[in-house]
Amino acid sequence: MNWLRLTCLALLGLTLLPASGTAQSGPLRIEITEGVIEPLPIAVPNFVAETPQASDLARRISQVVADDLRRTGLFRTIDDSAFIARVTNFDAPVSYPDWRAINAQALVTGSVRQSGGRLDVRFRLYDVFAQAPLGDGLQFGGGTDSWRRIAHKVADAAYSRITGEDGYFDSRVVFVSETGPKGQRLKRLAVMDYDGANAAFLSDGSALVLAPRFSPQGDRILYTSYETGLPRIYLLDVNSMRRRLLNEQSGTMTFAPRFGPDGDTVVYSASTGGNTDLFSLSLRSGRQQRLTSDPSIETAPSFSPDGSQIVFESDRSGSQQLYIMSASGGEARRISFGAGRYGTPVWSPRGDLIAFTKQNQGRFHIGVMRTDGSEERLLTASFLDEGPTWAPNGRVIMFTRETAGASGAPALYSVDISGRNLQRVATPVAASAPAWSPLLP
Amino acid sequence: MTTGAYISGAGHLFMMLWVLLGGVIFRAPPPNVVSTAEVSLISPEAYAELAALPEPESTQDIATPSAPDLSDSPTVPDAALSPQSPAPRPEIAEPADAEDVPEPPELDVPAAEVDDVAPSPPAAPDTSDQVALLAPVAQPEAPRSAPRVAPVPAPAPPPLAEEAPELSPGVTETPEAREEEPVVEEQPAAAPPEATTEIVTEAEDEGQAFAPRTSIRPRQRPPRQVLEATRTPTDPEPEASDNLSAAIAGALAEAATTPEPTAPSRPLGPPLTQGEKDTLRVAVQRCWNVGSLSTEALRTTVVVAVSMLPDGKPDNGTIRMLSSDGSQAATSQAFEAARRAVIRCGLNGYDLPADKYEQWRDIEMTFNPENMRIK
Amino acid sequence: MADLRKLGLVLVLLAVAGCTDRFGGGGSDGAGGAGAIGGLGSPSDVTSPAYFQQTIGDRVLFEVDQSTLGEGARVTLDGQARWLLDNPEYAARIEGHADERGTTEYNIALGARRANAVQEYLFAQGVSINRLQTVSFGKERPLEICSDESCYSQNRRAVTVLTAGAGS
Repeated sequence: MNWLRLTCLALLGLTLLPASGTAQSGPLRIEITEGVIEPLPIAVPNFVAETPQASDLARRISQVVADDLRRTGLFRTIDDSAFIARVTNFDAPVSYPDWRAINAQALVTGSVRQSGGRLDVRFRLYDVFAQAPLGDGLQFGGGTDSWRRIAHKVADAAYSRITGEDGYFDSRVVFVSETGPKGQRLKRLAVMDYDGANAAFLSDGSALVLAPRFSPQGDRILYTSYETGLPRIYLLDVNSMRRRLLNEQSGTMTFAPRFGPDGDTVVYSASTGGNTDLFSLSLRSGRQQRLTSDPSIETAPSFSPDGSQIVFESDRSGSQQLYIMSASGGEARRISFGAGRYGTPVWSPRGDLIAFTKQNQGRFHIGVMRTDGSEERLLTASFLDEGPTWAPNGRVIMFTRETAGASGAPALYSVDISGRNLQRVATPVAASAPAWSPLLP
Repeated sequence: MTTGAYISGAGHLFMMLWVLLGGVIFRAPPPNVVSTAEVSLISPEAYAELAALPEPESTQDIATPSAPDLSDSPTVPDAALSPQSPAPRPEIAEPADAEDVPEPPELDVPAAEVDDVAPSPPAAPDTSDQVALLAPVAQPEAPRSAPRVAPVPAPAPPPLAEEAPELSPGVTETPEAREEEPVVEEQPAAAPPEATTEIVTEAEDEGQAFAPRTSIRPRQRPPRQVLEATRTPTDPEPEASDNLSAAIAGALAEAATTPEPTAPSRPLGPPLTQGEKDTLRVAVQRCWNVGSLSTEALRTTVVVAVSMLPDGKPDNGTIRMLSSDGSQAATSQAFEAARRAVIRCGLNGYDLPADKYEQWRDIEMTFNPENMRIK
Repeated sequence: MADLRKLGLVLVLLAVAGCTDRFGGGGSDGAGGAGAIGGLGSPSDVTSPAYFQQTIGDRVLFEVDQSTLGEGARVTLDGQARWLLDNPEYAARIEGHADERGTTEYNIALGARRANAVQEYLFAQGVSINRLQTVSFGKERPLEICSDESCYSQNRRAVTVLTAGAGS
């Protein structure tokens, strides 16, 4: 029987071989399941000035591009002083070994042509180690006063090409600027680029203003103002600066207005007789609809990106919690069940997550959860964090952080939805209640 | 001879035929049918031609957002503005009188620059009693905050040690491996950059003092290296091993006689040991950086093929994608991250046994980010 | 008798002094100066707004996240109601406030509840609803600006601000 056993073994060996032995026809297979998470080293050498007067803007544009990328926390920009190669000709071949030597894994090159008031910027992105361009080169043109927007566009394209996310740098943020002592804050509407540049006021500060929101097209802003003595909702056209009071009813306070994705529907809270409910209003037709009729507080609504649902906060259970209902009202289902109070839900532009403010054990958090309330994850913790707003790509959240005490002041912060890269956003004055615009066209 | 033996023999014969011929019948689609990032790559020369066209399709005209024409009104005080905007600001301005512009001096005005460093979280209140009540289970390895997340935590480097741009080859990945291979410690290695094993949010950092953390899964223990296993006398199957290898060698000799177009010209050598494979795996994952991937790409597993040169370096031109379970966009980013990993960590050649070259000449690597997604 | 009257005056002055201390000099919280009446008169003049504001007390306080009126609050509001009934030339705007430990919009709604609780109580005491406006300031106008309970408890309030004759 020994020979039989041997034969069997031989046959068995043959059948096993393909997995390990016949390397000439079957490759070695390994599975990589653990990696590292760290910023990608990227080099952004000064863009090439193709006209003599472009050198200043070329330098500034490449700086804005580098700042945008670095600020995401996903990239580490390599300092110019480490560069071995100089890019002096946009169309010359890239000297990959020189960039590899300083461990740049990606490289952004660009050129700037300025003639009269006209600016044209070309750029390309390279994978240094693969020694290949990443995607097509792109060209952006515009007036010289648009140089920051052009730089943001370049950074958006590079960011998008490497990460696979849509960009968000060419966007604006409307917020409330705060000055004056804590008991008598002067609050004004203001708007700025996402990075704090180009800030400008939109209101004069004569009346208290709250919680502005951009329209889906970015051309109008909804906000709450105490102009009449009562909080009331207003619509401001950013281009004409004309504004109008929406829905004036004697004795009724209206606040927390938000656009629907159609740009026409507005949901808001109205408070009469001490009870706050949600209503919707069509800007075109003026038609109003009551969405909730509970004796509890219903406020801080936010549309799902498809416009079919609304997430809001209510204390109908006895404490502030999050609920989702149809955009036309009706039965609501509770989605927040953790310890503490949940407020200011904001639906992610991707539709998959809801950001919120959570108050628990004397601390405030910004967090995210899935739309069914699962996978809750708190991203921040402080004395007072409040009012998240999503970057247009749904990857970053900006919010208000206020410090404690008589000298306490608000500031804007941003954080990646992974919880990494918490940082303060530059604002010219103390600021609160940010709301991100869509990506500009 | 029993019937069972015949059946067994027939079964085995069938399996053998299937193995030998199945490859012909059920051949995997050729790798190049999968469209990858390459399809959109164009050479600089080709781009130059494109760019030279009068109006490239990609040109976008950008205008500053149209703004209200209310030039008589003031904007933010210049002194408070970011220094980066010397150009005239967009004309968005307020309708108010200049006299109404408030002075902001009473407030602590934040500096007009982005602060890269997150503020250190406020000191957690002393709640040691609550900790004992709420989180009785000790958490031996609460991850720290660190700028880098890696399979193996690395301590913050000592003040004088420079962070190596990447791990030098002298550093092994697991403590276990170090114990078994003291020889690799000979070269002084630069300290690896500080790393933690998970992303620790501010809330979690603080939450450790407050409440049990339910969302963090325990870290997987790194697989123990068994590099020496097959060379040790304590073989798991001592009685069969000699016979088995002889049988396999015989079978191989037979197999080699069958026509085989790609028959190797040199000895195949024994298969790679698990330890040798692990060494390669660990080497690649050191350079597999998923930190700049989209959330969608982080849900995408890609299988990448590469042909190796005899010196252990990847033949970079042969890196191609075999399969992916994600969308085209996510696949492209996932593949590029995998390609960067293979190339970067293979710059000096992977540590692979030269006598087994035929065993690792072609490698298929599956990059599965599932574990990384939750960190 | 003269002694007794003197004693009464001293008592009134003491009470006023105490109130003045407590409320930091009086005046409306400044939340909305608009519409509030100008001359307050003397706190000892029972028909003066100063008397209403300081002697009776123009505000009531609330527990955390609550809008129910406590025993002390009802006593104050009884006094406010009597005064309003006695002085029909005045109307009132009731301002609801919250402490800073809540989100902005929720606190607007919470302040509305508190203002409404006062409005309903005064109405139940016979004050015409037409004379009683409500407004909420949420956490926008804290009276005390420290960040601990001693201040928060003072900020969770509803203030009855007299206005000129709207409902007379």
